This record gives sequence, structure tokens and C-alpha cells, in this order.
Amino acid sequence: MKKGKTYLAAGISGLLAVAGLVPHAHAANETVTVVLPEEPPSLEPCESKHSSVGRVLIQNITEPLTVIDPQTGEVKPELATRWEQTAPDAWRFYLREGVKFSDGAPFDAKAVAASIERLQRTDMTCNTKQQTLGGVDIKTNVVNDYVVEFKTSKPIPIFPTMMTVVQMSSPNMTLSGASRNPIGTGPYVITAWNAGTDITVERRDDYWGEKPVVSGARYVWRSESALRAAMVATGEADLTPIISVADADNPETDLSYPNGETTRLRISTMVPPLDDKRVRLALNLAIDREGLKVLFGEGAQLSEQLVGPNVNGFNPDIKPFAYDPEKAKQLVAEAKADGVPVDKAITIIGRNEIYVNAGEALEAMQAMWSEIGLNTQIRMFDTGNWLRYQNKPFPEPDMANLHQDQHDNLLGDATFTTFNKYDTEGVNSAVSDKRVDDLIAKAEPATGETRTKAFQEAFALLHDDIVADVYMYHMVGYTRVNPRLDWRPTLATNSEIDLSSIRFRASE
Amino acid sequence: MTYLTESTKVMKSAPQRSRFGTALSLLWADKFAMFAALFLILLAITCMVGPLLIGKAASGINFAGRNAPPSFDKGFLYILGGDNLGRSLLARIIVGAQTTMAVAITAVAASVIVGALLGLVAGYRGGLVSDVIMRVTDMIMSFPSMLTALVVLYVLGPSVSNLVIVLAITRIPVYLRTTRAEVMEARSRVFVTAAIAMGASHARVIFKHILPIVLPTLLTIAAVDFAAVIITESGLSFLGLGIQAPDFTWGSMVATGRNYIASAWWLSFWPGLAITLTALSLNILASWLRIATDPQQRWRLEGGHNHD
Amino acid sequence: MRFFKRSLFTLLSMAGLLLLVFFLSRMTGDPSYLFLPLDASAADRAAFSQLHGFDDPIYVQFGRYVVDLLNLDFGTSLSQQRSAMDIALEAFPHTLTLVSMALAIAFAGAILFGSLAARKPGGMIDRLISILSLTGASTPDFWVAIILVLIFAVSLGWLPTSGVGGPLYWIIPLFVLVLRPFGLLGQVVRGSMINALSSPYVKTAYAKGASEQKIIFVHALRNSMLPVITVAGDLAANLLNGAVIVETVFGWPGIGRLMIDAIMQRDFAVIQASILVTACAILILNILLDIAYVVLDPRVRHA
Repeated sequence: MKKGKTYLAAGISGLLAVAGLVPHAHAANETVTVVLPEEPPSLEPCESKHSSVGRVLIQNITEPLTVIDPQTGEVKPELATRWEQTAPDAWRFYLREGVKFSDGAPFDAKAVAASIERLQRTDMTCNTKQQTLGGVDIKTNVVNDYVVEFKTSKPIPIFPTMMTVVQMSSPNMTLSGASRNPIGTGPYVITAWNAGTDITVERRDDYWGEKPVVSGARYVWRSESALRAAMVATGEADLTPIISVADADNPETDLSYPNGETTRLRISTMVPPLDDKRVRLALNLAIDREGLKVLFGEGAQLSEQLVGPNVNGFNPDIKPFAYDPEKAKQLVAEAKADGVPVDKAITIIGRNEIYVNAGEALEAMQAMWSEIGLNTQIRMFDTGNWLRYQNKPFPEPDMANLHQDQHDNLLGDATFTTFNKYDTEGVNSAVSDKRVDDLIAKAEPATGETRTKAFQEAFALLHDDIVADVYMYHMVGYTRVNPRLDWRPTLATNSEIDLSSIRFRASE
Repeated sequence: MTYLTESTKVMKSAPQRSRFGTALSLLWADKFAMFAALFLILLAITCMVGPLLIGKAASGINFAGRNAPPSFDKGFLYILGGDNLGRSLLARIIVGAQTTMAVAITAVAASVIVGALLGLVAGYRGGLVSDVIMRVTDMIMSFPSMLTALVVLYVLGPSVSNLVIVLAITRIPVYLRTTRAEVMEARSRVFVTAAIAMGASHARVIFKHILPIVLPTLLTIAAVDFAAVIITESGLSFLGLGIQAPDFTWGSMVATGRNYIASAWWLSFWPGLAITLTALSLNILASWLRIATDPQQRWRLEGGHNHD
Repeated sequence: MRFFKRSLFTLLSMAGLLLLVFFLSRMTGDPSYLFLPLDASAADRAAFSQLHGFDDPIYVQFGRYVVDLLNLDFGTSLSQQRSAMDIALEAFPHTLTLVSMALAIAFAGAILFGSLAARKPGGMIDRLISILSLTGASTPDFWVAIILVLIFAVSLGWLPTSGVGGPLYWIIPLFVLVLRPFGLLGQVVRGSMINALSSPYVKTAYAKGASEQKIIFVHALRNSMLPVITVAGDLAANLLNGAVIVETVFGWPGIGRLMIDAIMQRDFAVIQASILVTACAILILNILLDIAYVVLDPRVRHA
């Protein structure tokens, strides 16, 4: 019986091989296949903050004026060669000469103006403008072909950092709807988009910079982590930027990397019993974060503030809370003795799949909190519903809640975190503390040491004194990479996959 | 056919016994059905007393026992292994049985009752009433169940009872259409037309003559549907719309376990096996029931004459 | 006359469906949360709502939708910023081919194995077929899907993991999709065949000396088709909306997946357009089913 089966198997696979139907692992070609978690909704340059758009677009098809060095966090030239501040609200950028868009149009000051205009269009809401530029209006003034001046509606000391997210696109692109065929200055051009199936790009010959090794790429998408992992394992794909920790079981192909995300549960610090600091501290002390790491990967770091070490304003001196359930019990008992309603139910507002094992993590924490006598209940939402609880005005302002949250600050400055998340006026903030507000107000217009110090103080205050969050982790992500590629993920892999950083290993 | 005569023989040989005794001896005659019945009885007992006995083991987190493989060394509770938070899988299957059964039974029962009633009315009355009911059914059928799920869960909040509503709504059309089709067929049979002609009341015609014809088909579908409901629920969990933690069912256990299929198959295998065994038992028992109630069918066949 | 009435009712139920979808989808919440960044202010939200007309009273929005519909304008997708109908029509053929092939296989298999099982209820063949088909029908499809990929694509390397392509790409998705309809239909065929085989006309046919094959596949089968067709119709309708899981796992760009994404993103125009497309298909299917009833059972005509 068993023998028969083996013959059958051999027969079938032989037949298939003869028919040439089995998809072979790539022969020695120079194209790569990348499998993403979802299809990009469009490839609109002003939507490049959308991770599935950015992973195809950024650095491959389009490029910005400036880039952030992932190692140092410094702003470096890309399509601009240098820049200067001419007034608190005005900047002058000098452009790289001899750069052409893939449609032949020259990259000059007029093209920059057109790209900024694209960003500020009114027929659709551009995520880049809203999210990164904080809704600030920019006026462009063409000085000459290669010099352009920007005037912002309010002073922005880190304007060159902000320009890292603005993708430059050809002035010939039309302004109707979201583009599915963007034209940029990057080393690759889009060759086809079969809706629902794949996107292919090809290397162009007249790129201004160094010619990349990879000659072309095909992007496909699968929502299941196991499938993405399987595709790389079988050679159907070469690289997937994200798989779950459970699927990362092959040390040869699976790489873990800090992905710039920091997780927390936001505490509604103004609603009893969470308005009592002892209860907030007890919540933190009761969870065994070292044990819980199994859900996210051993590379995850206990967090003590909402930004990672790459961000200007990160405070290296804050010590993460240690696991101490006895102390937590004691704190709850003390609070109870003082009349704090610690028996009141606390709602945990979770979001399905906000990160890998999001639901399991909440279940585990709920069990640990019930150990110290706190009564919590989980409500899981889809993204749309969860977001209602993220923003002010909160739908149920009197509900004591812990809001599951994940934050990434890829621009490398704490200003993109502190105001919205912790200022009394911040739209996601559940904290109201005069000292924090003052520190943020002091930091924002400042530069250099003053700016850094003020942000660091604010983070220390939030962690040690206020206990504003249930602090979780600086997260790690897992990628699976075909061994024929020589490529390592970086902090930016969450939002971009630079094809020109990929090399091939010498085949044996 | 041999089976049929065998069971009728058993029945005839024990005319004096109570109905219960008859049922038992009929069950004894079919070993598959007997095992199925035993399994379901065991399941019912588990649902009732299981959570009281080992409810705590189903919620105790234990990182050391995370994804522990099935083994006899770690004590009775870990025979089937541990789940992704180190909880005993055996305990979770036992405790999960209650919610699973509650969801599936309520959803199937609700959709059978509503569907069959509307189907009876549509098939029996015909005309405008039938048209209206059928077109409303068309609407429900063309309505994606996921949208129903999202609307209900958004408006009413995510809970077990709302999940039952979603599942029931989406299953109504199949019972409705089946019932209507069978009723229309039954209505045209001679003995039914005769009964109507002799002035029998509508209720009498429906419950005495038509329902017995329709019921076996409905039962067959319901038995299979039972599994379908559990799996749909599991699918909703897979898409993030199903039962919400800390509640759990066998379906949601399979959905969670799928993340570990390659590294820890037991997480999704055992609850999946529980679903399959339950569904199988129900189906075997349903088909036994059809045959055990056959005399009625025979009467019907003798009463009417039916040409191709 | 009957045809006219039927068409009228069909149109009415279509209108009802669109009304229902329009209002219910808007009950799932405000899309501005999903399309604006986390820290967008109330003013940004208001501007977004105004841009897309969500700030008008809902009946005004519905009126505008109806007028647009009459002009064959099905709206613009919020996430893709292009015609919602184009998006739905791109996706639908993928689902239609997958579902019709799966159903054809399930239907043929169910009739063959269901009839075989019905020949001897309670016999070995019956038991085997019933247990196999029911096991298939009661195993969660996404679970089977991932297992099959791990076995046949990763371990054995015989089949591609997923995606759209040549015949090999169809094998696993079709297998997964066939399981449930096959189990359900198989049981229904078996059930009504048992009925039909014990009916007088089959006995008459036996007495006349007709071959067993002929009796089973001609006389009995024809008479047991009514419930089978009904259940098959229901399955087809379900699958047209709900091949979601197979589409999700295998990256099949069908309409079920499109609809789920649109619902999750509150992309109302796409929800409406894709439901309109599937509803048309389901209504056509229902009309075909009614015709099938009449053909199979002439008595229905007089009912």
C-alpha cells in the first residue's frame, strides 16, 4: 500500500515536471519577487505613508529631497544637495542637477512645486500632508531652475526632516484620483499592474545614481503569514517584509529586526479607578513582560517610553518597571483602603491583528491582572471601530479603559509623538498634566540640546511620576529572505524596501 | 434496503415494549448510531458539568507550558498538550464545548424554525405571499454574511448572542427554500389534495400531512448545517469578526491555532477533531432517526400513488 | 404575464437590497477615521466628510446615490480613488470561475457518491462515503487550506503555494472549496435517493426489469433532484459572496475578498458596487433555479 503511494507520488511529480508545470525556483536571474501582506490601494506618491504603497514606491520609483540616515538619524541630501533656513518659516533648497524623471521630464524647481501642489490637492485627502506635515500649508517659490524656496504657514525647525516623506513626482502626472502609474526619479519604473495579482517594476538605464544590481521586481500579496513564509521557503518569492514570530522557525532565512514600533496600553488617567497612580503602577508591575515576550519574539525590548533609541528625545536613563506582583497587590490594597473603587470593571479596548498575537497578549495580561484583584474585560474591535476610541472626543468618556496602541516614529524626532499622545490638547491624549504641557511647549520651537533635554524630561515624567501607560515593548519584526539574496532588514523595512540595497550571493 | 427491513423487523418483534424501549433496541441494532448517541450524551454531560470541574484550568496562563506537545508525563490535563498561552487544551476543549454548543444549537434551531415556518406559508399559500417571502429571501441570500456580521456586531456590540443572530440570519434561506419546494411538491400529492377536498383544516393538513414529508429533509440539512455553523463561526474568527476573547469556542480555537500549524499542530487539531466528531455523530444519528421513523413514510407511500 | 410579474418582483427585491446595503453599511461607522491619520483633528474630519458628501443628511446622500445609479455612475472608491464598478467587475470573474468549477465538481461528485451510498443505506459503502464527506464538510476550510499548502507545496513541492496561474494553481483552492458543498450535497442526494428508491414507481421499474443503473440514475435521480437543486442553489449563492476564505488564503483576487476589505475600510461605494454585481448573479441564479424546478417537476407549474 505504502509502496503504491510512493510510486504514485513519483509518477505524478514526474509527469508534472515533464509538462514543465511545476514552478521552478528562480534560475540565475536578477529579478526578485517580494510578497507583501496586502495589495496597495494605489501607488499615489502623496499616499506613500501607507505601508503597502511605500514598500513599492519609496526609493524605487520615487525619491524625496532629503533622507534620514538609518544609522545616525541625521538628515542627508537626496534630490536636494543642500539647504538653508532663510527665516523662521522659510527654507531654501538647492536641487541636484542632471536628474530626469522616467518619462523624460527634467527634475527641476518647477517639478518640486508640482509635487508640493500634488500633496496639497483638494480633490482627495493626502495622507502624507495630514500625517507628517501636521496639516501645515507650504508655499513654493521657484527661484531658478535648481533653487526653490518654501514658506510654511508656521515655523517648523525640523523642516528638512519633514521633507524626507514628500515624494517627488513628474509634473506630467495628471491630478485626477489616486495614481496607479506614478512617475518618479527613482532607479525603477512600473511596467505592469495586474489588479489583484501582481505589480512588476523594471530597472531604468538613465538613473542619476549608481545602477542597482536587481534588474526588476515583482510584487505579490498574501494576507496569511504562513503563506508568505511558505512562498519564500519554496522559492516562489525571495523576500517578505513581515511574518509572524511563530512562522519564523528557520534561522537560516528568518531575520529579526527592531521595526521601530513601540506598544502600550493607553491608560485613561482621568477616570476612576485609573485616576489613582497606585492603580496605574499596579497595572504595570503585575505583568510578567519577560514571560510575555514569547508572543512577540525574544528580541523585543521592555519599553519605558513611546519612542525608540533612534528618536531625538529618547531618554536612555529611564528604567523599565520590573515584574513584582506582590508589590502590585499591595498597591491595590492601599488604594482600596483609601476608598478608590478598585473593583470597578476596567475595559481593555483591543484591535484585531494590530500586531501579531495582539489578542493573546491581552488575554494573558487580563489573567495577570485578575491575579492581583483587578477586574478587567476585553473588547476586541476591527480597525474602524477601534479608531473611534483612539481619538477625542472619546465615545464613552466615563469608561475606565486601557486602549491597545502601537506607535512608530520613523522621522526620528519626539515631536511626532509627544503632543498628540500626551499633551492636554493632544487628539489621542488621555493625560492632562501641566508639567508635561510646559515641557512640550518648551521643546517644540527649540533646537539642539534644549529640544532633546525637554523631550527627555517629559518622557521621564510620564513614566516615573505619572505612569501614563501600561508600557509594553519596543517591538521586533521578522522577515524571511531567500538565501540567494544578500539583504538585511532595517528600521525602515516597515515602510520601505529599497531594491537597490539588495545584492545576490555568489551561487555555489 | 436490507437495513431498512432489519430495523422494521426489530420494531415489529417488540410491539409491547414502551416507545423508549423500542428506540433503545433500534439503536442497539445500529452500532454506528449507538456510538454516535453515546458520544453526544457524553458531550451533553461535558457541557453541563465540565466547566464546573476544570473551568479554572482553562484560563490559567502558564508560559512554561506554552505550546507543550501532547504527553502523558505532565499529568492528566496536558494529555492533549498546552495552547499558545500554556493553558491545558483538554480543559479548554471541555469548557469551550459549552459555548460552541450553545452558539451552534441556538443558531441552527432559530434558522430551522423561522425558515421552515416561512417556507410552509410560502409553499402552502402560494401566490402573492409566496412571491413576497421568496424575494425577501433572495435579498438575504444576496447579502454578504460578513456585512451582516459587521453591522450586527457594530450596532449591538460583539457578544455571543449577537453572533448567534448573525449566524441564524444567514442560514434561514436554505431551510426556507427547501421547505417551500417540498411543500409545493407535497401539496400536489393525491392524499393531500384529498384531505383538503374533504374539508380538513389548514393546520391539520400542514401538521398532519405535509410536515412529516418535509421534516426528514430539514433534519438532514440541519445535522450537516450544525457543523457548517461552527465552521462559519470559526471563519468569522479567522477574519477577526467572530467570538471575542476571553470567550472562546472550538471554532475560535482552530482559528487561533492556525498560526501554529507548522510548529504546534495540536493547537488546532484537537478542537478541529471535536468539531468533526460532533458533526459526524449528529449526522449518523439523524440518518438513523430517518429510518427509525420509517413506518410513517411507508404509510405515505402506500396511501398515495405516484407516477413518474 | 407570469414572466412580467417575476421580473417586477426581482426588480423590487433588487431595489430593496440596494436600500438595505446603503443604510446598513453606513451604520458601520465613519470612514474618516480610517482614511485620515490617527491624529487628525475634528476639523480635518469635517473637511473629509464634506469632500465626500458624508456631511449631508443620509436621505440626501441616498437620493444622490439613486440619481447617480440611474446615470450608471456607481461611485468612486475611497481607498483606490477610481470607479467602484470597475473594481468590482475586475474581481467578479475570478470568483465566478472558481465557484462554478467548484460547484460543478461538488455536484457531480455528490450525485455519484450520494447515489452509491443510497443503494444500501447503512452498508459499508454508505458508511465510508458518509464519514468521508461529512469529515470534509465539518473541517474548517482555512485550516485545511494551510495544511494542504504545507504538505503539497512546502514539503513535497508538487504544487505552487498560492496565486493565480496555470492549472496547478487551481488544485488546492478548488479542493478546499469543494469539500463543504460536496459533503452537504452528498448527504442531501443520499437522503432523497433513499426516499425515491423506496417509492412505488421505482419498484415498478424493477418489476419491469430495468437495469439498476438506469433505475438509479434516471428514474430515482430525477425524482430526488428537487431538494438537491434547492440546496445547490443556496450553496452557490453563499459561495458567490463567501469564497472569502479561499480567496484570502490563496491571494485570489475575487469579489469576496474585495467585499471584506471594502467593509473593513468603510469603502461604501465598493461595498455597494460589489453587492450589486453579486446580487445580479444570484438573482439570475434564482430564476434559473425556478426554471429547473418546472422542468424537473411539471406539477410545480400548477401549484
